[in-house]
Amino acid sequence: MVDSLKEVEFGEELPAFEPDTSLKTGSAFAALIGWGQGMGGRFASHEDAKKEGLPGAMIPGVLSQGYLVAMIHHWAPAADIRKIDTVFRAPVLADDKHTITGVVTDIDEDQGLVELDLTVANEKGETRVFGTATISLPA
Amino acid sequence: MAEEEVDIDIKQARDKFLNQEFDEKVFDIDPDVTAQYARMCGETASRFLDPADPDFQAPPTFVASLSGGRMLPADYPRFGIGMDAGKGVECIAPIRPPVKLVGKTHIHDIYTKTGRSGRMVFTVSRIEFYTEDGKHVANADSRQVMRERG
Repeated sequence: MVDSLKEVEFGEELPAFEPDTSLKTGSAFAALIGWGQGMGGRFASHEDAKKEGLPGAMIPGVLSQGYLVAMIHHWAPAADIRKIDTVFRAPVLADDKHTITGVVTDIDEDQGLVELDLTVANEKGETRVFGTATISLPA
Repeated sequence: MAEEEVDIDIKQARDKFLNQEFDEKVFDIDPDVTAQYARMCGETASRFLDPADPDFQAPPTFVASLSGGRMLPADYPRFGIGMDAGKGVECIAPIRPPVKLVGKTHIHDIYTKTGRSGRMVFTVSRIEFYTEDGKHVANADSRQVMRERG
């Protein structure tokens, strides 16, 4: 766990994080943000998602983005997120196990900023979501 | 990219739509909703989970889940079949529920990439979020890619 900028090393790998990608959570999340209606069953039911031509129910993209930020906070609880950008390369399928990894790609000691590359991958090692984040940390 | 290298239809779209606000919507940010949102994302810190925490705030990416009245202007050209290509969030100040936020949407960027399957047009819609007293607290970008029909 990191508390300050001086503890961060360039190239450091963040502890891997396994998010809750269960259908139950993905479905509840979609309902919470109002995506339960009008989006078919793509987040709520594997069967309904398959009817739409998907391989199974999906985890909402914004939930995947939220996982990335939670992972950063597990590593550095005092981190403030300045920017995060995510690219949805392929669906994160509900009920499949996924792992998030991250690495420190830049440190700006003058500004107190750290840049991170973050990846959500499935059990086959296939990247589903890629993200970059800029965070600030106490000196 | 030099201006002369930009496709004519993209240049026309950029000239017409970039930075023109086309939607405004007020959002009531409920502390119970942001706390549930944070919990499902896997946050464990009290500042995101407990509305009684003196530093309670919405999780940083919460604004990415807020949709304006429309994502694109009514007369925006349909370059092809649209798909969600990604989302970005810029956090300017903590959002402390309960609070009302005003979301103002504009087209922030239009650009192309050409691959083996042809041209893809990317459109970035940005919602700028302000408190009711006008403080700018966050930006949320939605990147949509339209793959041109072959």
